[in-house]
Amino acid sequence: MPAEITKDDVRRIAKISNLELSEDEVGVFAKLFTETLKYMDMLNELDTSSVEETYQITGLTNVFQSENVSATLSKEAALSNASDPVDGYFGTKAVFERE
Amino acid sequence: MTHKLTIAEAIEKLKKGEITSYQLTQDCLDQIDKFDGEIKAFVTVCRESALKDAQEADRVIKERGPEIFNEKPLFGIPYACKDNFSTEGIETTASSNVLKGYKPPFESTVTKRLKNAGAILLGKTNMDAFAHGSSTETSDFFKTKNPWDFERIPGGSSGGSAAAVAANMCIFAIGSETAGSIRGPAVWCGITGLKPTYGRVSRYGTVAMASSTDSPGPLTKSALDAALVLQVIAGKDPFDATSNPAPVGSYVQDEDSPNLKGLKIGKPKSYFDIELEVGVGKALNKVLEKFVELGAEIVEIDLINPKYSIGVYTILQRSEVSSNLARLDGIRYGNPRSEFGFEAKKRMMLGAYTLSSGYYDQYYSKAQKVRTLIVNDFHEAFEKVDLIIGPTMPGIAPKLGAAEQSPLFGELADMLQEPSAIAGLCGISLPCGMSEGMPVGFQLIGNHLDEEKLIAASLAFQNATEYHKSFPEMEAK
Repeated sequence: MPAEITKDDVRRIAKISNLELSEDEVGVFAKLFTETLKYMDMLNELDTSSVEETYQITGLTNVFQSENVSATLSKEAALSNASDPVDGYFGTKAVFERE
Repeated sequence: MTHKLTIAEAIEKLKKGEITSYQLTQDCLDQIDKFDGEIKAFVTVCRESALKDAQEADRVIKERGPEIFNEKPLFGIPYACKDNFSTEGIETTASSNVLKGYKPPFESTVTKRLKNAGAILLGKTNMDAFAHGSSTETSDFFKTKNPWDFERIPGGSSGGSAAAVAANMCIFAIGSETAGSIRGPAVWCGITGLKPTYGRVSRYGTVAMASSTDSPGPLTKSALDAALVLQVIAGKDPFDATSNPAPVGSYVQDEDSPNLKGLKIGKPKSYFDIELEVGVGKALNKVLEKFVELGAEIVEIDLINPKYSIGVYTILQRSEVSSNLARLDGIRYGNPRSEFGFEAKKRMMLGAYTLSSGYYDQYYSKAQKVRTLIVNDFHEAFEKVDLIIGPTMPGIAPKLGAAEQSPLFGELADMLQEPSAIAGLCGISLPCGMSEGMPVGFQLIGNHLDEEKLIAASLAFQNATEYHKSFPEMEAK
């Protein structure tokens, strides 16, 4: 485990999380993450060499939707909370013009 | 004074025509007017629609008589709902500025089932923003206060719901638990809180936190009331692929006082070896004596030290939440991601880190393997015992500001609930007395889908004691 989470680590994570942070926040988070992850070190006290991961505890697999397609949202309902609807579509920032 | 009734009491009186649903609803709204300015349990109060629904309920009761309750078991009963359940056309915020102003175009399965059963929505309650906390202090809007002491926290993240029930501002409430968010505030507010088996109650329409452990459930004035609500909301939902197809049990039991003879209750050494406040320790000893009196056998067992669950839960929750909150783009609905509060940002980023390339194995994968150890540990325990008993919280509700003391405040406080939550088991918190003027509680943990046994033991305990009948004496300013 890394000894310390650096500010660069935090900036990288913020980018992949699609979050903008101030420089102050970057510093605070670097310290907090280092502290929290040190605490997680305790899991290494347990021997897990003979077990597999448990991702979910229901035991259910291959739960499929029925063939009868149920009603979905109307276009109007789907757009009812949109921040920038344009001509009956969701408006987003232009993709090709981004850096 | 009808706002002080339990669900069971209210239904009896409605059937006999002694009270009306309008009266019940109006009394709850009056209580909200009187105390919620101080307690701040509610984010949204649906005054007009609640009274309208209540009037309609009274009309139907008059027309069809008591038999309507066979069809709609919660008919005319006003309730409060945690603000992470989508209520169509009614603002649903998860107490976050990212969802402020958001009005869902669809209904959650839980609130839909409650509506179909005749329950009346009074309003949406405050919570830690996106359920990230155990204090309700990290709500982006305001802090909720504990009705027993306005300088203390109610717990979280279902703090608003717990406070609303404890203050008799509603007849029951709905909350959700990822690890401790129903049982924790229930104990600190002196009420009953039931966390069903993961998958027993549909998550469709709830704002997701950790998808592999989130469990909607009731916060109520009694175990009987919890059973009444569970009976309505439990069951397979085609909209939630993780909801369990197993038949729903009979939670509302006929026996006035279920017989506990032969019931084996496990007492895990590692849950009692931790430092408990003196008042909590004393109350727990009395609880164990009571169960023995009722015919149960206390069996000494051991479980993996719950401290390891802190690590598992922290990693699991942050990882799953980083994925779940990635969907909030501020384009299809909601406000920009810059509106996320500090706690949400912290958790999303830590989760992204633990899932990222190079770190996945040592954090996320390791946590899920320890999860297997915990699941197996409980599996072994339930071969020897029927239920497991323990403290819920190691102490009484702390003062406001407690959550700021540690970045892992919630995880540390919820340590005794994290193992059963991680394993997807059912659990119930019940009040068992007072300490330093604040309520104290304990929990029972049941095996997967064994809510019937859990509720039977709880009913027996509450039939033989009066702890759950205490409510705070509050003074309106």
